[in-house]
Amino acid sequence: MARLATQGAAEARRAWADRAARGDVGEGGRISYEGSHSFGADSVHRWRLGNGLTILVLVDVTAPVAAYHTWFNVGSRHERPGKTGLAHLFEHLMFGETENLRAGVFDRKLEENGAETNAATWVDWTYYHDLLPADRVKLAVKLEAERMNHLVLREAQVASEREVVANERRYRVEDDVEGLANELLYKTAFERHPYRWPTIGWMADIQGFTPDDCAGFYRTYYAPNNAVVVAVGSVRERDLVLAIRDAYGSIPSQPLPVEDIEPEPPQTQERRVELRKPAASERLLLAFKGPALGDADHAPLTVLSEVLFGGRASRLYRSLVVDRELATDVRGWVSTFRDPGLFECWITARSRHTGSEILPLLDEAFGRARVEAISPDELARAKSRLELGALQQLETAAGKAEQIGFFETVLGDPGYAFRRVEAFRRTTVGDLRWVARRYLTDTSRTVLRVIPESGSAPAGVAQ
Amino acid sequence: MSPRASAPATRLGLDGATVVLVEPSHDVPLVSIVVSLRNGAAAEPPEKAGLARIAMRMLRRGCEGLGSEQVDFMIDALGAEMSVDTSTSTVAIHCQVIARSVAAFVDLLGRMLESPTFADAELERLKRESIAEIVEARDNDRVVAQKAMQRTLFEGHPYGRSAGGTTQTVAAITRDDVVAFYHRHVVRANLVLGFAGDVTPEAARALALRLVSGLSAGEPTADATAEPTMGTGRRLVLVDKPERTQTQMLIGTLGTSPHDDDHVPLVVANAIFGGTFTSRLMKEIRSKRGWSYGASSRASIDRHRQAWVLWTFPAAQDAAPCLKLSIELIDRWVSSGVSAAEVKFIVRYLVRSHAFDVDTAAKRLHQSLDVELLGLPEDYFSSWVSRVRAVTPAAASAAVRNRIHAMDLLAVVVGTASQVLEPLRALSGLAEVTVQPFDAE
Repeated sequence: MARLATQGAAEARRAWADRAARGDVGEGGRISYEGSHSFGADSVHRWRLGNGLTILVLVDVTAPVAAYHTWFNVGSRHERPGKTGLAHLFEHLMFGETENLRAGVFDRKLEENGAETNAATWVDWTYYHDLLPADRVKLAVKLEAERMNHLVLREAQVASEREVVANERRYRVEDDVEGLANELLYKTAFERHPYRWPTIGWMADIQGFTPDDCAGFYRTYYAPNNAVVVAVGSVRERDLVLAIRDAYGSIPSQPLPVEDIEPEPPQTQERRVELRKPAASERLLLAFKGPALGDADHAPLTVLSEVLFGGRASRLYRSLVVDRELATDVRGWVSTFRDPGLFECWITARSRHTGSEILPLLDEAFGRARVEAISPDELARAKSRLELGALQQLETAAGKAEQIGFFETVLGDPGYAFRRVEAFRRTTVGDLRWVARRYLTDTSRTVLRVIPESGSAPAGVAQ
Repeated sequence: MSPRASAPATRLGLDGATVVLVEPSHDVPLVSIVVSLRNGAAAEPPEKAGLARIAMRMLRRGCEGLGSEQVDFMIDALGAEMSVDTSTSTVAIHCQVIARSVAAFVDLLGRMLESPTFADAELERLKRESIAEIVEARDNDRVVAQKAMQRTLFEGHPYGRSAGGTTQTVAAITRDDVVAFYHRHVVRANLVLGFAGDVTPEAARALALRLVSGLSAGEPTADATAEPTMGTGRRLVLVDKPERTQTQMLIGTLGTSPHDDDHVPLVVANAIFGGTFTSRLMKEIRSKRGWSYGASSRASIDRHRQAWVLWTFPAAQDAAPCLKLSIELIDRWVSSGVSAAEVKFIVRYLVRSHAFDVDTAAKRLHQSLDVELLGLPEDYFSSWVSRVRAVTPAAASAAVRNRIHAMDLLAVVVGTASQVLEPLRALSGLAEVTVQPFDAE
């Protein structure tokens, strides 16, 4: 996908990289320039160190800030039963003590320089983001390199973060009816693939992690050849690349394990499950098996989701919320995962209405999408909404860095955000009927009802 | 720092006294538009709480020549979005649109503003929808805690009412109420318009004229809100909700006014106490004890003195010790103040992180809107960095001592009473403990 920038600019970068490689930098610090990727009207430049670290730089002078992201190609898909939640727990530990920084100093140094920092973990990836005044970006370079190579993992830190993560799980899952429902939905829809367990992990697994578990995970996955650094902002590209070389060049690459993922077998029968919890209203969740993010069907199915669920003028919002007043909210989402995921449909029923009333109406809408052609106006409406959403992702340096890092990590294409919009634009009415017929099939779906009750059933989903 | 970072938005005046604020930026082909009123929910009768929000939400439920469905479809087809945000002091319609459609979208919005139909059937539908949303929000423990804090801390004051109303007050709203509210407040003299993004001041002026062309001149709405007062003593409200594994805990008291001499010192002191990831609260509650995923404190600003609130969410078994520790930390903060090292650190943080308060045109516009709508001092944002730099440890400590009344605290805990009530009640120093159901309004 990489396209060369103008020949002269690319050659100049290569020549500079060659010059920078001279001297005592070691093999790991050798800089290569690998070309550029279009990112709208701008270019993302791809550099690589000898130790395998990928560096993507987008110079953006719209504000005096810089976003510095580190994306690791590791998520909950790389865990195994009994050790679920390790990728996420580890994300917490990365903010702890290193060989050269006492506990808390990482955050304090960033805060002292006006930076914001946080991290996120999901099924396919983990990323760390620092947002700094542009003239402080080299601080992030130093600190991120330090924790990539010198993290300290002791029982006290692991024990403390286990408790924090257990509390995070209580907040996001145990006491949140939608979090609990989402967990049960994936557990039911997937039988073999690791997408079946939650990224935050099962509570028993969280409470059982040891420093050895964490140290093994660190050695295996937190290697420069498993990471992508993304820098977006008002930065001097070559100065930054040199600073990264100096900070990361001595970190050795690691042999990465060959991924050992069980593909999810085709689903041949509808699955139904109920969850009874104290709740104000019933929720109905439908999940069809969907395409991987890189699949050609992903964009058309996303457009179809918008036709059906996106905004107040969507078919199901009009039908269920406005006309029939059976629901307060409807949502559709095609999972943006590396492997085939789900097309999730969420309906929040109004008090005294139930999923039993709503399900036939959903079936009718899905049936229409399979049989009738969507009108060109509805298609155009959906595309406009998706284009607006895509542009909103690009308003800040942090937003751009997230788009670049996400699509590089999942698809190997940092400029895919724009190609995705082009794919939305190319989508035809025929494409929508095709994906409706291919994916909206009863046998490949999971139906989950959350039924309100005021009893005292134990919280949590059984493993 | 960018020279534009501290500069207020371009200010235009239209006939009829509408103020227009413009913050151009051509980096992304998007235009943000804000149509705001100089009054909010404080102007509605208490028994009709939710009226301002309902009146503004009715705009997209139909205007002359266009039904609700057509309006919704056109907004989407233009690549636009539109939402209503209501607070005690202001009401705002927030819109964002792809730049190529801005003229068409503003024409549509202008039609909505000048000729809303307020159809009875649509109003009744919206009321039912709003009531369903109020009921559904009870599933969110944090929202339940915030509402309990608001209505108890500011009991009898407009700040104590939910801008969304209650199931009873929304049900009581009539078409006459909506029409009267709309025609009284949606007038040129009471509007402040904002444009940010891919638009020039000249284009914004033309768009603003289109938006107000069908509105009457009117008068600005005067703010009749009294200064809030605080109850006395340390009180606990337990909001009882079944099957909670965790609690949502808020501790509040009166906080700051943007017009206080010690406003900025208090903001600085609060940042030390609970405003960052390495604050005192996070260190003690999360880092040392692992009791909660988060712990923070916030000193909100409004036209009048608003609340200072601490928020954390410990597991049920940790609720009592966490509340005890939180109150001890407040006591220590008030009695001992903050140190010179803490002030030096946090001032650096606040000054340097200011870049992120102004890194988009929309953020810069909202600062200018806040100055206009909340009656903030004109230089509130433009002099922010220098005022933060000037804060001394003595000033920050004095601000905490003078403004945070540690003996007049209200704690709100959402949790399961059978698990947490007795341990909480056993804590010393609580003058009053009351239990409310989670669906109380």
